[in-house]
Amino acid sequence: MRKSTASGTLRYLLTCWKLNAAGAMEFRLSFFLTAGMMFINNCIWLVFWGIFFTKFPVVNGWELRDVMLMWAVAAGGFGWANMLFGNFTRVAAITAAGQLDVYLTQPKPVLLSVLASRMSLMAIGDFMFGWVIYGLVGDHSLRGLALFMLGLLISGLLIMFFTLVANSLAFYIGNAEGLAFQVFNGFLALTTYPTDIFRGGVRIILFTLVPAGFISYIPIGLLGGIQDSFLIGALGITALVAGIGIAFFYHGLRRYTSGNQLGIRS
Amino acid sequence: MGMYALEVQKLTKTFAVKQKKAGFKESVRSLFKPQWQVKEAVKNVDLLVKPGETVAFLGPNGAGKSTTIKMLTGILHPTSGDAQVLGCNPWKERGRLAFRIGTVFGQKSQLWYHLPPADSFELMSRVYELRRSDYLIRRDLLIERFELGAHLQTPVRKLSLGERMRCEIAVAFLHRPQLLFLDEPTIGLDVIIKQRIRELIAELNREEGTTVFLTSHDPGDIERLCKRAIIIHHGGVILDDPVDRLKREVLKYKTIRLKLREQEQQAMSFRMDGVSAAYEDSCTILLSVDTNVTRIETVLAFIVEHYTLEDVTIEDPPMEEVIKHIYASEKANLLLGAEGE
Amino acid sequence: MNNRLLLKWKKYEAVGIITLRHQFAYITDLLLRSVFLLLILYIFIQLWQAAYQGDADAVIAGFSLQQIIWYLVFAEAITMAKPPIGAKIEEEVKSGDIAVRLIRPLSYVGFHYMSYMGEATLRFFIHLAVGSSIALSFMGAPEFGSGLAALFMLSIGAFTVAFMLHMIIALFAFWLEETRGLEFVMQKLQFTVGGMLLPLEMMPEWLQRICAWLPFQTVLYFPAKMAVAYDAKLLIPYLAIQWGWVVVLAVVVIMTYRTGVKKLHVNGG
Repeated sequence: MRKSTASGTLRYLLTCWKLNAAGAMEFRLSFFLTAGMMFINNCIWLVFWGIFFTKFPVVNGWELRDVMLMWAVAAGGFGWANMLFGNFTRVAAITAAGQLDVYLTQPKPVLLSVLASRMSLMAIGDFMFGWVIYGLVGDHSLRGLALFMLGLLISGLLIMFFTLVANSLAFYIGNAEGLAFQVFNGFLALTTYPTDIFRGGVRIILFTLVPAGFISYIPIGLLGGIQDSFLIGALGITALVAGIGIAFFYHGLRRYTSGNQLGIRS
Repeated sequence: MGMYALEVQKLTKTFAVKQKKAGFKESVRSLFKPQWQVKEAVKNVDLLVKPGETVAFLGPNGAGKSTTIKMLTGILHPTSGDAQVLGCNPWKERGRLAFRIGTVFGQKSQLWYHLPPADSFELMSRVYELRRSDYLIRRDLLIERFELGAHLQTPVRKLSLGERMRCEIAVAFLHRPQLLFLDEPTIGLDVIIKQRIRELIAELNREEGTTVFLTSHDPGDIERLCKRAIIIHHGGVILDDPVDRLKREVLKYKTIRLKLREQEQQAMSFRMDGVSAAYEDSCTILLSVDTNVTRIETVLAFIVEHYTLEDVTIEDPPMEEVIKHIYASEKANLLLGAEGE
Repeated sequence: MNNRLLLKWKKYEAVGIITLRHQFAYITDLLLRSVFLLLILYIFIQLWQAAYQGDADAVIAGFSLQQIIWYLVFAEAITMAKPPIGAKIEEEVKSGDIAVRLIRPLSYVGFHYMSYMGEATLRFFIHLAVGSSIALSFMGAPEFGSGLAALFMLSIGAFTVAFMLHMIIALFAFWLEETRGLEFVMQKLQFTVGGMLLPLEMMPEWLQRICAWLPFQTVLYFPAKMAVAYDAKLLIPYLAIQWGWVVVLAVVVIMTYRTGVKKLHVNGG
């Protein structure tokens, strides 16, 4: 009997990504257009912040540069996650449509197969945006580069696994697409506003229940000089959310019935 | 109004289809300098239809039926040619013409999906600017005719396809159209509902003199509803005949599909005039019956007497077959004509 | 003659009403979407509070903290109320469902205008209610005075201009396979030079001068600004500029439609 090995799984992942990339290249033009649109979209937000900071140069200790780096980390992290594991926003839809069957019959880890079998084109624009902003206002020393990449890693993993938890609700409550999308959208929104505008209970929530704070605070707590408690918290919460996401998914998978596409959707 | 409900001369519609090769360079090139290929959807169609006629407009998929109807209702502008529908030029006087014609697309619902049909009736009474009292009388008449009373207050999404189609057609009759275009009105419906819908349309044609212009690829629609058939293929008219003649000459073939009990398969070897048999698999047999030579009842009686059946169905030949027959008989006529001279 | 006009009006009125009623089927979707509005407004309340450093009396670029929050509520309510007309028209052209519209004795643009207004009405009031609830609980209600009346007066023109702008783009579907990109540009223009997140007063001088010559300010900035800072002297000029743009854009829409409909080629059976 053959067993799935780590190196075999890695080779499988690489093949997935190669195929996805080749598929995306088939529609290169529309691909560059959509990616470009996302890039511009993010830039327009920075225009807003640019104008905002002409009226209020410092807001609770945050300057324009911090907000730019926050956007770089959030968009860049979302970018790589959605390029390499583009299905993480669509698990609820895939489950509701009974399309998990395909992945269940393959001899590779189900969750990994599901996530890696789509590459989002728009996300490439987000990823590039992250690096362009880093290029403009980031710390270009080797240490600065390493910290920025660590920031991208934390941000991407948190966004991905938090969204996965919301999407896995589909196993338990049926039609969770709308809800999961709102949770995803809301989480993403929270990652792109200065953490320090929030106070009291909400601020605590941002570092616990809805840990978007561990992304939005990266420009201050990591790139602006490592704050140990923040870094440990960020790594710990990332591991925890990833663990919950995976457990929630596999626990839900036991309840999966491929035919649970109910009624007509309009 | 002139002598004709529909008068069409040399109606032609060509489409330019963008050609694009694979690859990035080609994508960019096609964005700035597209390569076009011209496709003729309808070419030089001539038609004359008198008021009160029931005409079937037939052809396989992609023959140009829908495109023709869309030009005659003013949706599409033709590339060339001319048409008068109830004395109006459809694409120049679309608004004026729309008051006097009705249209049903079998595959496109015109009812509001989340609302009961009663609301769609109400909207249409406004759209066609009907007088309130006239509208109410007319609506009640159609509801009774189409047996819609029970469904009137149910949201359309909860109706069956058959119920929905009855509503669609009833709505189309609301403003007493002089000419009714039906594009595949029975597609996807079961036999009994199909039959009921055909009867209803036929009744209203008789009573109100509505001209009916129908496309279908179900020969049943034609036989039971229309007096005249026009067949188009590759965008041009290839036949314009009374349905009676079409029935005699082209639609005379029926297919009987027999499913036999397994043990009896070897016994199937009878000979009858005008019947040819072919095995589809070990216990399914297709009989092609020329109904001018042997009546279908005769064949069925013979089978029932001699064999034990699992299942039997009678089918019309598909439109593609019909067209093959037309081409074949046209060629034969040409040859005969040549010999005669 | 009058009777004839009345019948015509009744026809388009019926389209608006039936669309409005049809939209009620999507009310759960709408409410779910409005949760997102709650979140965004909450975030912005925090942001502006931090920017104003909690000073209720500070006035920046002519706006107090309370005014700026309410400005945002109105601008967001209008933005989120706009039906996705571009996607709808593109879908109608691609699927061939446009045929069902064109067989009626009804103007295609007129149908969509009334349908747009019907749908926008429901969405506007829902988002307005949701947005107001959060602004009320955090900021309290300012003295609107005649501002609310001005808001509703200017909203009709605002949605009409928005419809025209998006309809021009949408009608390009008669020529192009893909109108998403143009639609996106249009949205982003409203987002920035239309004054969605920031009233125009907060922008640099040179940008304000450009904005004044564009139609985008009439969609969000005019109604939202008048609601929070009513100025009787401005009402007539604002209405005139707004409906001036309606006339100009309507001409463009009608010309685009007339040219485009001849090129129309409808797919499918």
